Amino acid sequence: MQVDLDKEFSLPGSVSKGWTFLQNIPGVASCMPGAEITEEIDESNFKGKVKAKIGPATMAFNGDIVIKNIDPDKKELHLVGKGQDTKGTSSATMDLTAWIVDGDDGNAALKGQAAVIVTGKAASLGGRMMTQVADQILNQFGKNFANNIAAMGDTEEAEQAKEALLEEPKELNGLAFAWSVFVGWIKSLFGKKATS
Amino acid sequence: MSEATTKQEREAALEGMGCSKKRKEDARFIQGTGRYTDDIKLPGMLYADMVRSPYAHARIKSINKDEALALPGVIAVLTAEDLKPLSLHWMPTLAGDVQAVLADEKVHFQYQEVAVVIAEDRYIAADAVDLVQVEYEELPPLVDAHKAMDPDAPILREDLVGKMEGAHSVRKHDNHIFNWQAGDKDATDRVFDHADVVVSQDMYYHRVHPCPLETCGSVASFDKVNGHLTVYLTSQAPHVVRTVVSMLSGIPESKVRIVSPDIGGGFGNKVGIYPGYVCAIVASIVLGVPVKWVEDRMENLSTTAFARDYHMTGEIAADSNGIIKALRVNVLADHGAFDACADPSKFPAGLMHICTGSYDVPVAHVNVDGVYTNKAPGGVAYRCSFRVTEAVYVIERTMDVLAQKLNIDKAEIRRRNFVKAEQFPYDTCLGWQLDSGDYHTALDKVLDAVDYPALRKEQEEKRAKGELMGIGLVTFTEIVGAGPSRNCDILGVGMFDSAEIRVHPTGSVMARMGTITQGQGHQTTYAQIIASELGITSDEISIEEGDTDTAPYGLGTYGSRSTPVGGAATAVAARKIQAKARKIAAHLLEVSEDDLDWEVDRFKVKGVPGQEKTMKEIAWAAYNNVPEGMEPGLEAVDYYDPPNFTYPYGVYLCVVDIDKHTGETHVRRFYALDDCGTRINPMIIDGQIHGGLNEGFAVAMGQELPFDKQGNLLGNTLMDYFVPTFVETPHWETDYTVTPSPHHPIGAKGVAESPHVGSIPCFTSAVVDAFSHLGITHMDMPHNAYRVWQQIQELELTE
Repeated sequence: MQVDLDKEFSLPGSVSKGWTFLQNIPGVASCMPGAEITEEIDESNFKGKVKAKIGPATMAFNGDIVIKNIDPDKKELHLVGKGQDTKGTSSATMDLTAWIVDGDDGNAALKGQAAVIVTGKAASLGGRMMTQVADQILNQFGKNFANNIAAMGDTEEAEQAKEALLEEPKELNGLAFAWSVFVGWIKSLFGKKATS
Repeated sequence: MSEATTKQEREAALEGMGCSKKRKEDARFIQGTGRYTDDIKLPGMLYADMVRSPYAHARIKSINKDEALALPGVIAVLTAEDLKPLSLHWMPTLAGDVQAVLADEKVHFQYQEVAVVIAEDRYIAADAVDLVQVEYEELPPLVDAHKAMDPDAPILREDLVGKMEGAHSVRKHDNHIFNWQAGDKDATDRVFDHADVVVSQDMYYHRVHPCPLETCGSVASFDKVNGHLTVYLTSQAPHVVRTVVSMLSGIPESKVRIVSPDIGGGFGNKVGIYPGYVCAIVASIVLGVPVKWVEDRMENLSTTAFARDYHMTGEIAADSNGIIKALRVNVLADHGAFDACADPSKFPAGLMHICTGSYDVPVAHVNVDGVYTNKAPGGVAYRCSFRVTEAVYVIERTMDVLAQKLNIDKAEIRRRNFVKAEQFPYDTCLGWQLDSGDYHTALDKVLDAVDYPALRKEQEEKRAKGELMGIGLVTFTEIVGAGPSRNCDILGVGMFDSAEIRVHPTGSVMARMGTITQGQGHQTTYAQIIASELGITSDEISIEEGDTDTAPYGLGTYGSRSTPVGGAATAVAARKIQAKARKIAAHLLEVSEDDLDWEVDRFKVKGVPGQEKTMKEIAWAAYNNVPEGMEPGLEAVDYYDPPNFTYPYGVYLCVVDIDKHTGETHVRRFYALDDCGTRINPMIIDGQIHGGLNEGFAVAMGQELPFDKQGNLLGNTLMDYFVPTFVETPHWETDYTVTPSPHHPIGAKGVAESPHVGSIPCFTSAVVDAFSHLGITHMDMPHNAYRVWQQIQELELTE
C-alpha cells in the first residue's frame, strides 16, 4: 500500500529559522505525533519509535531513520524511515524530502514530499483510510513544526507556542484523531465531486 | 381401497426419490447440536497458532523464539528448521508441486506460515505469536501475473530454479508452472484466418474465496502407545487425506483415522491439505497429546484456498448468421506461490476444455499458461467442478459479444448454435461427450415465463428515457461427477466413489459412503435413493460418512460428484441387495425368481394375489432362512467408476436496473431453470439452487481479494469481503426440466454448483446489457456500485 503525499505549511518565522530547525532531527521527529528518537547512533543514523492508537488498536513501530542527504544550498533534508511493528505483523517505510522555501510576508514555508509504503495487517485493515490517516498525521506534523519555529526566542508568542507544544499529546491518540480523519475523508468525497 | 391406491400409499410412505422430504440433518443444526471440528475437545489438548509473514516476498534472516518460549503456557515454537529432520518442512500438493509447510528461508506470500506456536490455551498461543521475532529482508514482490514471465521478473521459487521439466509440461521461465492445451490449434487458426466474423474479448475472472461459515481446522491426536493417529478435520475428502497423511508420516494407513465431523460449508475450501493440519499432526506426534489448530477468518480468507484468478481471452470465428465456426480460448492462470490447485492430475487447468458450452462448435483450441505470483496458493473449485465456472464464463461472455457484433439477439444467437436434442450423446471437439440435453425446450420455457419480448420492449423505452436497464441471459452446460478413472485421478487414486449398505434383521438400514456431506443433505437424499430401491422407509435408513475407520474408501464431495458418483454407487449397491432379496423371496415363496415382480416394497408372485414377501420379511429371513449355499446377511458394497461425467445444464435470465447516479445495481428479476436429470428431493434441489445463486450473486457483485503493488491483501476481513445476507439477496425464481442422464443408474446429474456456475456470467451479461447500446461489450467483475459508477462516469451519462 503506497501513499504519496505532497504538502506545504507556512511557518511563523524566517527561512533561516526554518532551516535551523529542519536540521534538528530529534526535534523534527518529535513533531510527528506519537514519534520520538530513542537513540542517536551517529549524525545520520537514528533509532526511533512511533506509537499509534486508533480505537481499540494500538500499534507500536520501532524503526531506523537514515539521513540520506542534507543540502544547505537547497535547504533540503532527505530521510528514509523504516519500521516494523513490535508484533511483527506490519511494517512501514517513509521516504521523505523536506525543504524550506520563501513564504508570504517574509516568512518561510515548509514543503514536503513523502512516499509512505505500508505492508501487513496495517495495510489489509487500514488500507482504505491510509491516505486520510497519513494526511492528518502530516497536518499535525506541520502544526507542530510551525509551533517549534514560533517557540524560538523569548517573545510572548514564543511562550504560547512552547505551551502549545507541551500540551500536544505524546501519542497519536483517540477519537479526536479518528474524527479528524473522518472529516478529512468526507471532505475528500465532496472535493472529488466538485472537481469532476 | 383399490390395489392402486394402496400401492401409491405405500410408495408415499417410503419418502423415496421425488419426495420433498425435510432434511434429517436440520434437527440437530437448528438446535445447535451439530458437532464441528472446533467443538471437539480432548483431554490434555494443546492449541496451535501461526506466526505469519507481513510481507509478500522476503528472505527470513532470523527467527528468535526466546521471548515466546519464556511466556508461561507456551509448550513449543516450531519453524521449518525443526520440521526439516522429519522432511516435513515441505509437502506435496495435489497439482504435482510442493508447498512449504513453514516458510523455508523465504516467504512467498503475505500471511504465509512462518512458525507455529503450541500452547496450553488458544489465548496464550495468540499472545506468543506476537512474541516470536522474525527478521526479514524484503524482496521485490511479483503481483501482476502478466509480468511473471518478464525477463527481469523476480524469481519466486528458488527451489525450482533450473528444473525446467515441470509436473505438466516444460517450463518456459522460472516463474512458469505449466502450459496446457486442448484441441486442434492449426485447424482452429485456419478457420479464424478465413472467417466472416471474428470477435475477441479479454476478461479477468478475479480472485475470490469460498469463505465458508466454518473456517478450516483440525484436531490431531496421536496415541504413542499403540501408534494410532486420529485426526478430526474439516475435509471434503477424508479418505484422500488419510492416504496423504500415511504417505507423509510413514504411519500405516490402517493406523490413521480421519474423521470429518459436521462441516459448516466447504465450497472447495476444504479439499486441500493445509500447513496448519500438518503442524497440528506433527506437534501431536512429537508431544504425544492432542493438538488443535483452527484458523480465524482473516487466515481463512488470506491463506487457505482462493478460487479463479484467470486472465482470459475468448475468441469466436463465425459466419454472418452468427453460426460458430471455431472457438479459441487463451488463459493466463495465476496460481499463486505454490501450485496447489485441487484438480484431477491430468488437468492442471481443471476442466477448462468444457468451454465449448452448450454449442455445436466444429473446432476449438484452448491454451493455458500457469504462472507463480506472490499470492497465496489454491485455485480451488469454488462451488464448481474444476474450473467449469471459468469455462462457462468465457464462452457465455464471448457469445454475448458475438451477438452484439452481429446485432443478433442474445437468445437467438444461442438458439442458432445449440447442440440439438437429437445430437445427444454429443461429442465435443475438445473431447467430452455431453450425455443428454434439450436446450431449445429449456430456453423457450424461460423466455415464455418472463415474457422476453415485453422485457426487450420495456428496455427500449427505458433507454429512450436515458435509464439503464439490462437483461442477462446464460445457457450453460456443466460437467460434473468426476469422474471416469480413465481420465480422472487424485494422486493416482481413480475418482470412483463407494457405498456400503447393510440391511439389519428388522429391516432398517445403515449405509456408509465415501463422500461427505457439508450442507448437501446426503443423510436425507441417499436415504431416499435406498428407500426407492429397497422399499424401506427413508426414516429407517441411517447414512454415515466421514469416518475413514468405518466408511468405504471414496474420493469425497466436491465438483457436484456425490449424486453422480456416490449416488450411483448407492443405487447399484441397493440393487445388489435387491437381487439377493429376490433370491431369498423366491426361496421363501417356493417359486422361481422369474415368477416374481417387484412392487414398491415387496416381491409378488406373478398372477397369484396375496403371494408376496415384503422387504422387511426378506430381511428377517436373510438372517435365518436363506436358500442352501447362500451366505446369510443382507448387505452390499459398490465401488462405482462412472462411465462418463454428467452434464447438467440450465437457462438463466436476469433483469437489472442500474441507478446512474450511484452505480447501484438492483436485481429486479432472476429466473433460473435447471435440468439436473432425475430429481431426488425437489426441496433440497431448490435449496441448493438458492445457495448457489446467492454465492454467484456474491462473486459477481462484490466478492474480491484485491492486492496492492506490495502484495498486501486488501480485503481479508468480512468488513470488506462480501457475504450477502437476506438484505442484499435478490428474489430467486426457479424452474426445471428433466432430461435424465442415460448412463447414470437413476438418471441423476448433480445440481449444487450449476446455479453458481450459471448465474455469475448471467449477472455480468445483465450489467453489460444495460450499457451495450452505448458500445460496451464487457465489464469485469465485481459489479459493485463503485465500479459501475466509474463506467457511468467514463460514458458521461450524468450531467
